[in-house]
Amino acid sequence: MLRKLSVVLCLFTLLALSAPRAGDFPGKGITIICTAAPGGGSDALARMLAQVAEPIFGQSVVVVNKVGGANAVGLSEGARARPDGYTVTMATVEVVMHPLLGNVPWKVPDVFKPIMLLNSDPGAVTVRADSPWKTLGDFLADAKKRPGEIKIGCTSPGSIWHICAAALEEASGTKYNLVPYPGGAAPAVVDLLGGHVDAVTVSPAEVGPQVEAGQLRILAVMSDKRDEKFTGVPTMKELGFNVSIGTWRSFVVPKATPDAVVKVLHDGFKKALEDPKLVEFARNRGLGLDYRNAADFTRMMGEQEAMFAKIFKAYDLLPK
Amino acid sequence: MEDIFSGIGLAFSPYAIIAVICGVVGGIVVGALPGLSATMAVAILTPLSFGMTPAVSMAMLLGTYVGAVYGGSISAILIRTPGTPAACATIFDGYPMTQRGEAGKALGWAALGSCVGGMIGLFFLVVSAPLITRFALSFSAPEYFGLAIFGLSIIISVSGKHVTRGMISGAAGLLVATIGMDPIQGSTRFIFNSMDLLGGISLISALIGLFAVSEAFNSAETVMRESERIKQIINGLFPLWREIKGHAVLILKSAVIGTFIGALPGAGADIAAFVSYNEARRSSRTPEKFGTGFVDGVIAAETGNNAVTGGAMIPLLTLAIPGDAVTAVLLGALMIHGLKPGPMLMAENRDLVYSFFCSLFVGNLLLLVFGIGGIKVFTKVVALTKRLLVPIILILCVIGAYAVGNNLFDAKLALAFGVLGYLMQKADFPVAPLALAIILGPMAEVALRQSLIMNHGSWSILATRPISLGLLIIAALSIFFSIRQAQKENKKREAMRS
Repeated sequence: MLRKLSVVLCLFTLLALSAPRAGDFPGKGITIICTAAPGGGSDALARMLAQVAEPIFGQSVVVVNKVGGANAVGLSEGARARPDGYTVTMATVEVVMHPLLGNVPWKVPDVFKPIMLLNSDPGAVTVRADSPWKTLGDFLADAKKRPGEIKIGCTSPGSIWHICAAALEEASGTKYNLVPYPGGAAPAVVDLLGGHVDAVTVSPAEVGPQVEAGQLRILAVMSDKRDEKFTGVPTMKELGFNVSIGTWRSFVVPKATPDAVVKVLHDGFKKALEDPKLVEFARNRGLGLDYRNAADFTRMMGEQEAMFAKIFKAYDLLPK
Repeated sequence: MEDIFSGIGLAFSPYAIIAVICGVVGGIVVGALPGLSATMAVAILTPLSFGMTPAVSMAMLLGTYVGAVYGGSISAILIRTPGTPAACATIFDGYPMTQRGEAGKALGWAALGSCVGGMIGLFFLVVSAPLITRFALSFSAPEYFGLAIFGLSIIISVSGKHVTRGMISGAAGLLVATIGMDPIQGSTRFIFNSMDLLGGISLISALIGLFAVSEAFNSAETVMRESERIKQIINGLFPLWREIKGHAVLILKSAVIGTFIGALPGAGADIAAFVSYNEARRSSRTPEKFGTGFVDGVIAAETGNNAVTGGAMIPLLTLAIPGDAVTAVLLGALMIHGLKPGPMLMAENRDLVYSFFCSLFVGNLLLLVFGIGGIKVFTKVVALTKRLLVPIILILCVIGAYAVGNNLFDAKLALAFGVLGYLMQKADFPVAPLALAIILGPMAEVALRQSLIMNHGSWSILATRPISLGLLIIAALSIFFSIRQAQKENKKREAMRS
């Protein structure tokens, strides 16, 4: 009796140990770790994707906000998750920044396997509509005349909109008075509207309503192609500056996740990303959808890492 | 005119009414539970509202918003637990009232203050949004610094008789507020290589620990000894007309402060509650009564924090800039319905804007209905024996602190702050200044350093801008009179002793 039981138990153990076949995936609900608090763009995108992806996977898709440490807590938790594909992490641009800044003990290629890029929003140079600068050329010429005088509102050093401002300085050889707004884009935009700073380097979406209302003017966007909504605004590249920076959001899973499972996740979420409901949501919410497969996305992260490292070095942010 | 009527029609459709009722009830529950915030509730409801019409979905979200801002007062008054940071100032006088058996009265005034505050905020939103916007735009870093210092000047008044100890406690709070990433330079401070501290001390964990957990420890001391339940008076709960008239000026002033601070994108309901509390105490004829269970303190805090709801909608509708964290989510909710918040909304969807106003009106009215109607139910909580109540509060505290970011570290942090708060109370160190400094410290630091960066390192910017100078002068006067007041009282006490 005991012998039979032990054989049965051994078989069960084997069954449990054997890798889940991709055909069975997903056999239960999927959890998306959102590393930001409810309320921001990341959370909104994660929740909408979850809603649209549920019928595609035929399983529940739940968003869990793991907040703390400027996204570092959630990212690290995602890296430590069981590598079975049931825990997907929405990794933001900070996933490249934190290891560089020495805030986390891991590097992306060692702990994560990328699934896909979901969205990207570029930086842009925006001024008041009643300012004398009609083009980026005007702006840069004025900045050359009085270095360090023009005030640019951005986020804190080591975060994305500050990097955009720093990249503008570096690419054009101008100097500004960078005023950090740790509260994000909104307070910087308010101070631009109130005339307390002269320009901001946040995304076009974050100044969109004011631009449409005729209060602000975008001089240039920091992306490879022009903004869908503001087609009259040139890119930095068109103007001869090799600056293409922005924030982005992606899906990653722990490194040891089987490739077959990753493929199922990729195909499902790609379908969700193309769902008309999601496309409409993203357009309305001002989130630029930017699908890239794992290979392209990995290459992009590599390029960004090199660029961030250069800027962090210039601003003395690298760990000693 | 037509738009107004069609807006009213939208807001009073059966679905919209049901949505706003559900929103308010849900909001009150979320607000009362520590760790669950209005922001979180509105964010989680937003994707669900995608399928509704804009008027109905906003009715639900606005109801949730006003309900949650009010709901925090219930747990603050009854069990000294700040359901939201905005309810922190309500604790100062609300909880001592409960200890005296006046929980019903405190809850009644909190409901009335919240309702009237919300209504006055709404009134300003409707009639003077462009004007307030212009004033709000003149606020930049130096003005925020003045506001933060004015808020911090309350440290002395909430310290009671221990002015020096209060200042030490406040300084410790400022130090705690510096933990985490340096907001201006991006380097890390006091994180001891811990990733959990990278984002700083979770405000809600600190508040839950300092007030609720420490009080639970206090109660635990006597839990075996007694069955001393405080008898709560539950008759005549609705404030009398005569009393309301007597507090009219206080309510109006707190509501104006709340509305304006709500309209400032850099400050929200928690700061509004403190500033109106401070202003109420400063201008009171009996400032010594504040902090001892004085109903004026509850009124000022609750009116101030609910007036924020109307105020925070102002920049949302005039500039497409959210006035606080919740309206930031509302902004997103409007956008996913294909609406353009900001000046375009009023031009293109005027009827919808009026329906939002109506929903806010209904929501605020419901606060009074549920707030007053629920007093008998709410006060049952404190009728429990401590043997039951203390473990329940502790469990709520741990879960609440965890729920903020689903992060176990935050729960441990709340317990640690609980021990700290408990020890401080034993050693006669006031806890409130520590909490206040943790809330206002980051704003003061960021605003000061931004001002200096803007002005190339020169401090003159604080004195040359009239609003910032005015606020700093009021703060200085407030500190001066508070110290003199405290000295006078100490002398009185000494005279009585000898």
